[in-house]
Amino acid sequence: MWRVLTSYAVPLLGVALVTWITSTMLAQWGLASAALLFLLPVLLGAARGGLGPGLVAALAGAGAYNFFLLPPYFSFRVHGPENAVSVLVLVLVAFVTSRLATRLRAREEEANARAAISEELAQISRLLAKGAPVEALERARSYVAGIYGPVRIDGAQDGFSSLDQAAAAWAMHNGDATGHGTGVMAAAEWTFLPLSPKGRGAHALMALARPADGHTRPMVQIEHMQQVALLLGQGCDRIALEEERRARETLAESDRLRRTFLASLAHDFRTPLTVITGQLEALATRSPEAGEALNAARRLERTMSDLIAAARIEEGSLRPQAESLDLIDAADAAFGAVAVPAGLSLGHAIPADLPFVQADAVLLHHVLINLIDNALGHAASRVMLGAALSDGQVALWVEDDGPGVPLDQRARIFERFARIEGGDRAQGSGLGLAIVRGFAEAMGMQVSIEGSPLGGARFILRMAA
Amino acid sequence: MNRVLVVDDEPAILRLLGAVLARGGYEAAGAATASAALATLRGGGLSAAILDLGLPDRDGLELIPLLRAAHVPVIVLSAREDVGEKVAALDLGASDYITKPFDGEELLARLRVALRQSGHPSGATQEVLAYGPLRIDTARHEASIEGRALTLPPKEFALLQALVEAGGRILTHAALLEKVWGRAHVGDVEYLRVAIRALRLKVEEDPAHPRLIRNEPGIGYRLMEA
Repeated sequence: MWRVLTSYAVPLLGVALVTWITSTMLAQWGLASAALLFLLPVLLGAARGGLGPGLVAALAGAGAYNFFLLPPYFSFRVHGPENAVSVLVLVLVAFVTSRLATRLRAREEEANARAAISEELAQISRLLAKGAPVEALERARSYVAGIYGPVRIDGAQDGFSSLDQAAAAWAMHNGDATGHGTGVMAAAEWTFLPLSPKGRGAHALMALARPADGHTRPMVQIEHMQQVALLLGQGCDRIALEEERRARETLAESDRLRRTFLASLAHDFRTPLTVITGQLEALATRSPEAGEALNAARRLERTMSDLIAAARIEEGSLRPQAESLDLIDAADAAFGAVAVPAGLSLGHAIPADLPFVQADAVLLHHVLINLIDNALGHAASRVMLGAALSDGQVALWVEDDGPGVPLDQRARIFERFARIEGGDRAQGSGLGLAIVRGFAEAMGMQVSIEGSPLGGARFILRMAA
Repeated sequence: MNRVLVVDDEPAILRLLGAVLARGGYEAAGAATASAALATLRGGGLSAAILDLGLPDRDGLELIPLLRAAHVPVIVLSAREDVGEKVAALDLGASDYITKPFDGEELLARLRVALRQSGHPSGATQEVLAYGPLRIDTARHEASIEGRALTLPPKEFALLQALVEAGGRILTHAALLEKVWGRAHVGDVEYLRVAIRALRLKVEEDPAHPRLIRNEPGIGYRLMEA
């Protein structure tokens, strides 16, 4: 109120002052100069107060000019067109100046507002950079609420009409500002601003309520808010990425620790076992008891190896490296690594022209050793390996002429600690076939069991040629 | 008497290896650390070394080139399952490897192969090489098995020559590929598989049950004395 009052009072005072000065100096300056001086209060009024004070000053100045300076003095009567011209000029000046001044003031206000927004965005950026997304969101929310009214960034849908929800879905899907004040679903009560640009899979929205005065929110405000929203989105994305990277690192570290642990476990039990078996070997040539102890120690070694292999499968630390393999080599190497009990025979009928297969040589070696050991544990007289090409895949099998596996137990034979009920000659850990399946699956092979033409069981590995 | 350097940080393993070596007629010089091993190496008079790769003061792999430079054949002793480490040891010049827990007789057999191999000068200077039933005349580019001449294409000849030169020592896939096909092909194991299969058809009595050319899974090939 006071500002309005002074914006009128000051130019009016100016008019009074100019009138007094010009009336005393009229003789020296002449009418033209005196008339020019009346522009000053008009400019002042228009520039400071806008059109109203400018017009008032113009009319007051024209009146004073006429009344005090134009003859006949102290009368509004005029004889020539001079007064009409001076009134017109003063009014025009008031118009033009006030328009210019208003525009300038608007520009200045806009610049201030922009600076305030930049400063606020910088503050929010700092919070985001510090890795405080919750604080940044809250600050952005209260800042926006302070200037534009109720705002929500929580992602909840409650309190939204179905049109609002449709607008939210649209904004989320298209990455565009949607709802009130925009070109899309303008009838909505809220304006929805995505936190990520289009194509980046917007996963959060900022919702801005329709202004309380019922007016349509201007586009410039929506554009400002979009800036804030994108900044928040970028910051949150960066923080999410950083968190993801940290989680991955932690995972890789614990994976590495587990593998180191398994490796050192293997080392820790193998060193004493090496000493035990080594010393027993020397004694076994003279003492049958030492021979028995040696066999027990070797069985213990196999069991421990099985346990470690099972742990490696369990924790997923197998990293198979497929290479081109000749199954003749694989069978040959496995035969060299198993002990064939007296009275049993072990052989293979793998065709020498079979295609090479893609497999991890070491894992396949373990798979074959376990399958052969298992077969030797159940065979009556012999264990055979065979292979054939079918449908672009190579099937490799190990079979025996033992009692076989009853149909109802085949499904669980690859489970850990699975044993066939009755008559089990095998002294293994109960992990052998579970390791077969674990290693085979890690290499992308399928393992299955069926009856063998020899009378016992046939374990089949199917792999890529 | 052949003196064999034994490097392992476990005293019990050192004692065990000492006993095994004594059984085979060797004298063992034990070292629990890499620096002790190097001191013994400087003392001279070693015929071979048995080396555990897990040492407290240095990676055992680093010792291999030093021992090789002193013409001491190395057998690597490792409890580790890591095939990559064995391959690295072989590529650095180790003659062989043996995995814990080892069989004493097998260790002695490997040691004999390693010693015999180092007793011969390098194959490059020899014109006629022999291993088991195989004979190769490098100058005349001729190969034979039990006196029967073999007709071999250049790659198969080069492959057989590399295996015979190694004389029972294991050669890694990469080493064989580099020798025969060149450095650019060290990853092309399939080339090797094809050539080995072709070679077996000519040198093995029953190619489906090879007795001569033996594969070590994931590591390489070696010749067996049939």
